[in-house]
Amino acid sequence: MIIKSHQRPITWTNAIRQRAGRHLRVLVTQTHPVFNMSAICVSLSRNLLVARSCGVMVMGRSVQTAAAPVTEPRIKKFQVYRWDPDSAGDKPRMQTYEIDLDRCGPMVLDALIKIKNEMDPTLTFRRSCREGICGSCAMNINGGNTLACLNKIDTNTNKPTKIYPLPHMYVVKDLVPDMSNFYAQYKSIEPYLKKKDEAQEGKEQYFQSVEDRQKLDGLYECILCACCSTSCPSYWWNGDKYLGPAVLMQAYRWMIDSRDEFTEERLSKLQDPFSLYRCHTIMNCTKTCPKGLNPGKAIAEIKKMMATYQEKKAAAS
Amino acid sequence: MALLLRVIARPGVCLARPQYSVIYRHVAPMGTTAKEEMNKFWAKNAKLNRPMSPHLAIYQWSVPMMMSVTFRGTGVGLSGAISAFALLALALPGQYPYYLDLIHSLSVGPFLIGLAKFGLSFPLSFHTFNGVRHLWWDIGKGFRIPEVYRTGYTVIGLSVITSLALCLL
Repeated sequence: MIIKSHQRPITWTNAIRQRAGRHLRVLVTQTHPVFNMSAICVSLSRNLLVARSCGVMVMGRSVQTAAAPVTEPRIKKFQVYRWDPDSAGDKPRMQTYEIDLDRCGPMVLDALIKIKNEMDPTLTFRRSCREGICGSCAMNINGGNTLACLNKIDTNTNKPTKIYPLPHMYVVKDLVPDMSNFYAQYKSIEPYLKKKDEAQEGKEQYFQSVEDRQKLDGLYECILCACCSTSCPSYWWNGDKYLGPAVLMQAYRWMIDSRDEFTEERLSKLQDPFSLYRCHTIMNCTKTCPKGLNPGKAIAEIKKMMATYQEKKAAAS
Repeated sequence: MALLLRVIARPGVCLARPQYSVIYRHVAPMGTTAKEEMNKFWAKNAKLNRPMSPHLAIYQWSVPMMMSVTFRGTGVGLSGAISAFALLALALPGQYPYYLDLIHSLSVGPFLIGLAKFGLSFPLSFHTFNGVRHLWWDIGKGFRIPEVYRTGYTVIGLSVITSLALCLL
């Protein structure tokens, strides 16, 4: 869609140039050789008018082909959170941009890129894949956390679309939050395969039954965009000690991996009032997940495992 | 003086250096720990004085979220009310029937009395039914979003009916 909108002006100018050229030729051949120069001057100045009217004609035609009944442009307002670290004493504010939806791609990310390209190059946000697999463009759109690239622009032009950074995060600039704590928490759960006997590592492939592999479905697809964690009020208030839904779901993903041998240790690491048990099943996480995963369910499964794991430990001692 | 200090300090430095190198050799290949990265995060953001992105004020409320807050509120309210009732029963001079008669003698009208009764019975019934919903979650059931809504509306419906029934007793 974006490429198209860039191409359109080029085809217009081509059409104008062709028409203008034709007019020029006609005018020059009609005039007497003596008045050639002045005729060209006149024709040039006329060409400007011709070109302008041609442009109007072409534009009218393109609107007609795009939407049969000629309607007024669909102007949508986007209110975007802005904060600039480089201007001293800058306070966070909302800036409004107006976009013609007929000249913009369908997703909120398309609108943001259009704003940055054509209206305000200072607008700062993260984006990469534009297809919901990198997790860079996670932000709060109209009150819910989601990926801007997977979120269709609400075509109701009466209501502005409000865009904030992920909630309760330190803002680096505009829509860019500091994710370092989130990544450190992910690191803390050791998100990789662990074996008791390291001497056997890399010797042969670790096989898994089809059923065991299926247990990882709905867990491994997480792209760590942090939409769920930053939608969780518990994570807002206790983000320093509570791990949050995204990280806990990955902790669960390694706990139930049939090839991993550190399930008990992974569980015992969560044995404190905060890491896991700040989850109160508010379910904002599952509701907001742009990938349709269920972190709330994964946390519940960890809680269940914690109960039986304690029984095991009691039985062993 | 400076020379003297330097002479005294030198053996100390010489002693300290091998120890440092031993520690450094162990630390270097491990990189930073998660804990170190978290500490760095908090220190850095406090120093840079970055704003906190808006949260509660901009996040769109949903029925499950509202119910969760109400569950917490009713829990705190009920335990507080029961404790206050018990403490007042101990502290106040009169007996329970005396205060009941006092309320009767105020003759506030059936509407206000009903409202007050509902104000007592709804938190109780809501907290009870939502507690059952939480038990259902604790056995790992009902986590799909449509189920969350369905059980939520069921809890609200049941609590309203039950609290009305309690009011009419």
